[in-house]
Amino acid sequence: MDSLIIPPTNDSPEVKFDTTTYRFSIIGESRPENAGKFYDPIINWLTEFENILYWRKHEMKDNSSTVVFVFKLDYFNSTSAKHIMDILLMIKRFIGQGYKVNVEWQYDKYTEDMLDAGTEFSNMIGLNFKFVEIDVD
Amino acid sequence: MTQVSTAYEVYQFMSAKNILVAFTGHFDHLVTTSLLRNIKNKLKDLQSITGIDKKVYNILVESIENISKYSSKNTKHNIAMLLLCKGEKNFTIITGNHVLNKDVPALKERLDKVIKLGQEDLKKLYREQMLSKRTDENSAGLGIIDIAIKSKNQIKYDFKPLNEQTSFYLFQTEINIQK
Repeated sequence: MDSLIIPPTNDSPEVKFDTTTYRFSIIGESRPENAGKFYDPIINWLTEFENILYWRKHEMKDNSSTVVFVFKLDYFNSTSAKHIMDILLMIKRFIGQGYKVNVEWQYDKYTEDMLDAGTEFSNMIGLNFKFVEIDVD
Repeated sequence: MTQVSTAYEVYQFMSAKNILVAFTGHFDHLVTTSLLRNIKNKLKDLQSITGIDKKVYNILVESIENISKYSSKNTKHNIAMLLLCKGEKNFTIITGNHVLNKDVPALKERLDKVIKLGQEDLKKLYREQMLSKRTDENSAGLGIIDIAIKSKNQIKYDFKPLNEQTSFYLFQTEINIQK
């Protein structure tokens, strides 16, 4: 399956779901004019990815292959929040099926709001995140 | 007609009131994007080490998005306003836009509901809204709740009746500078 690569714009984050490394990242600012139009293809891609996981389940259920979702968001608007939650719910479903999937939530050490937002998502969905503090300019 | 002296008065007023940004116009996505880029740089220039610039920016984006969510759809009334002020102890963000009088009671009710809540109840409400069915109405409510959480609920609002159909809706958020 091809990787999903969406370059960043002024109002949407960079999306890089690399199927060679299984490192899936969403990085930047999210306030697209039409959040559905931006996030639907990502959800569709993940739905297809779920099928791939199924066919490779022996490989994907041992410890050597882990999918890592990295969220490194400077900001997301409240409309994007619901779509980000959809992605997280999908991750939870993957984990529920026995696949090794980790969520890494990176936040700028001065942006407590993004740490709070990650904590909120984690609690709301019942999914453990690895929180990583980063030092950006 | 606006005279040079009037323009100078506007400048003096803006300086005295610590107004960093004042904008009136039609807030479409393109205008908003360029305006936000400009403000982002302005906030960066303040060289805050506490990350307050990012908090202000985040609340600003949500405030501007609220303008379009609640504006009356009548294009004649599409002119809205944004003010960003920086005092010694806080930033103040004020948006103003036209709303239909018939929409005012529902909006007031929603604002009053949010304003009286403490931080924990706000988070609870945020969670409820997030898990509820997705409609435009809901996500609009989510924006106000989000602003309330991020500003530690320092929200004020006012409606100035303009005529029988419309009012001018003012929405203000204060953000404390010291932690």
